[in-house]
Amino acid sequence: MSQQASVLYDAPGPRAKQRNAIYTVLFVAALALAAWWFISELDARNQLEAESWTPLLEAGVWTDFFIPGLLNTLQAAFLSILIALPIGALLGIARLSEHAWIRWPAAVWVEFFRATPVLILMLFSRELYRMAGVDSEILPLYAVVTGLVLYNGSVLAEVVRAGILSLPRGQSEAADALGMRRSQVMTSVLLPQAVTAMLPAIVSQLVVIVKDTAIGGAVVRFEEVIAQLRPLPTSDYRPSVIATLTAIAIIFIILNFILTAFANWLERWLRRRKKGTGAVVTTDMVEEQAPGVRLEDTEADVAGRKDDG
Amino acid sequence: MTEQTSSATPMIKATAVNKHFGDLHVLKDINFEVPRGQVVVVLGPSGSGKSTLCRAINRLEPIDSGTIEVDGQPLPAEGRALAQLRADVGMVFQSFNLFAHKTILDNITLAPMKVRKQDKATARKTAMELLERVGIANQANKYPAQLSGGQQQRAAIARALAMKPKVMMFDEPTSALDPEMVQEVLDVMTTLAREGMTMFVVTHEMGFARKAANRVMFMADGEIVEDTTPDDFFTNPKSARAKDFLGKILTH
Amino acid sequence: MFDFLDKPLYAEYGGILGAFWVTIQLTFFSAIGSLIWGTVLAAMRVGPVPIMRWFATAYVNIVRNVPLTVIIVGSSVVLADQLLWTLGGSDTREISFRLAVLGFTLYTSCFVCESLRSGINTVPIGQAEAARALGLTFFQVLRIVVLPQAFRSVVAPLASVLIALTKNTTVTAAIAGIEAAALMAAMIERESDKVLLVFGIFAVGFVILTLPMGMFLGWVAKKVSVKR
Repeated sequence: MSQQASVLYDAPGPRAKQRNAIYTVLFVAALALAAWWFISELDARNQLEAESWTPLLEAGVWTDFFIPGLLNTLQAAFLSILIALPIGALLGIARLSEHAWIRWPAAVWVEFFRATPVLILMLFSRELYRMAGVDSEILPLYAVVTGLVLYNGSVLAEVVRAGILSLPRGQSEAADALGMRRSQVMTSVLLPQAVTAMLPAIVSQLVVIVKDTAIGGAVVRFEEVIAQLRPLPTSDYRPSVIATLTAIAIIFIILNFILTAFANWLERWLRRRKKGTGAVVTTDMVEEQAPGVRLEDTEADVAGRKDDG
Repeated sequence: MTEQTSSATPMIKATAVNKHFGDLHVLKDINFEVPRGQVVVVLGPSGSGKSTLCRAINRLEPIDSGTIEVDGQPLPAEGRALAQLRADVGMVFQSFNLFAHKTILDNITLAPMKVRKQDKATARKTAMELLERVGIANQANKYPAQLSGGQQQRAAIARALAMKPKVMMFDEPTSALDPEMVQEVLDVMTTLAREGMTMFVVTHEMGFARKAANRVMFMADGEIVEDTTPDDFFTNPKSARAKDFLGKILTH
Repeated sequence: MFDFLDKPLYAEYGGILGAFWVTIQLTFFSAIGSLIWGTVLAAMRVGPVPIMRWFATAYVNIVRNVPLTVIIVGSSVVLADQLLWTLGGSDTREISFRLAVLGFTLYTSCFVCESLRSGINTVPIGQAEAARALGLTFFQVLRIVVLPQAFRSVVAPLASVLIALTKNTTVTAAIAGIEAAALMAAMIERESDKVLLVFGIFAVGFVILTLPMGMFLGWVAKKVSVKR
């Protein structure tokens, strides 16, 4: 039991400890009740029979369905972030430009594609590619990647902007003082440092992208993990729909846990190392980013700024 | 339980107080009394447990064993009784801890109105008098972030005084201040000491200890190593640890 | 140019406006649900009872790593098709709507919880200690010192969550043809000569729904933020 005081609570006294013990018992009872109810619900529909679940243990289920699906998911995700990164960098720098005629179009582009749902972007790109005569085999991948690039290019633009703004002001002042031109300051001083600061945020964005590839599986017939829900239960293996979906969810959870752990490790590593300014764009700044809301308003503070000076 | 507030009752009484942070024994069998009106300065190297002791007296840090009494009342463990006791013990923190979303004036009137149930006019009048006293009446309507550290700490002292506390605890009140602001805070504390307030001050300010304290407690490794008058402590330290400590301080 | 909108094929959606109206309703009910369940989760996560903290942490970390599509599809194929839940709905359309709201609530509440928790954590613990040292009780500390400051710093993140939710409602298209994205999916395949126009209509629809809301709430967030 934690004896620590928090911003909300005093360190517990004897009565508080007793109260917490009662809450613990009640909560465990409630959880057990809910679990029992759900299990009996499943049982009532014969969903707990072994033959619904055991097919998942067969190698073929994985080699023919899940692993190809997972590879497609990863392919789409990595392609998307690789293409979105340079686009995001360009847009992010453009938004910091001194010239309004560069800043404004970039702002409109970024805000438009942050405001438009990825699903709609995917539907639209699929039709464009279809009209352009793209082969129907590869069409879904194109549609998914294009939709993800359009959206994430704009999201990453904001990450790049926050990354550059996170650098101590002294960096650009020193470069200015050395007589470097604006573009030189940006490309040889600010951008390289900002990219390092952004690495954790970029990896976290990969989690969002991985999750969004599932939209492609559901609406543009992209053969990623969740798309296996259609063929698998009717295949020769016959796992139940519930079992299949459970496996799909677990695959995503594990994949995203690995990515999140990697992002957190990167963040800690960047903060610890001596080289560089220690500026980091934190990972939770990216999740659920919305149009019109600027990163720096969300109080998820741009670390490094505070240590400045 | 009899209500004892005679002058013979010590303001603070600690008996056999022990506390651990995990494996670390931070307070080792602490015993002391602080009589009414006394100004005690607690000195010691960092990590000696002096801040923990200060915070234990109003149970911001719970203790593992032993008893702490404030004005004859044992420290309650929780709830309303604890809140009432805390209302009588003023506390000044190293990091000021003013409420960032309230003006200086509102910071000071908050507890008198919510805890002491004073009406707004009375609370404001007292607050302005106190701000006058600590010399920042002209800052009353500003927010904490708009004030310098020294001004914030003086406001924090005024906030504690507004509760008309029986005793004032200071937990390294000048450690977070820029050097040029230390004196303005110490001046306020010195005045308070002269007026007869019972004070328990954890600090590194030797000047204040010499000038305003009646008594010095020197702590090291969770123990009270020396407990004597300031004169005696600075001129004639008995323990090796105190000598070592003074040697380091005085050479700087 | 816009004649195609009147085709009887699209009438079951109630036209463009009708479809967007369903989007708005989905967003509204899911937002209410997420706010309630997210607040409960946040209360558990910052609470003094270890098992509740553990549960809320596990819930948030698991559910937010599952794609929303999996949750929405799951609510349809598992809850509706296999377990035959109707949530009190009488026809397919109503059942789909309610299940979607349930799915969005389960997912979005993770982000509500995290926003609230980080809001509470922006209040320095020293201020709470100072409030306790002045003799304020638990509820006074909560009401006077912690929540007012926490509230100010959750406006922006909650605004982001709300806007993301608005866009996320399009995932309903994966299970039911009731809202804007489903109508667009139906249209864009049939009106192949007006692809850009169809996209433009729906994209602008979402920009109109989200951008002013984002800018307004961003402005509010800036207005109320606490200087530190």
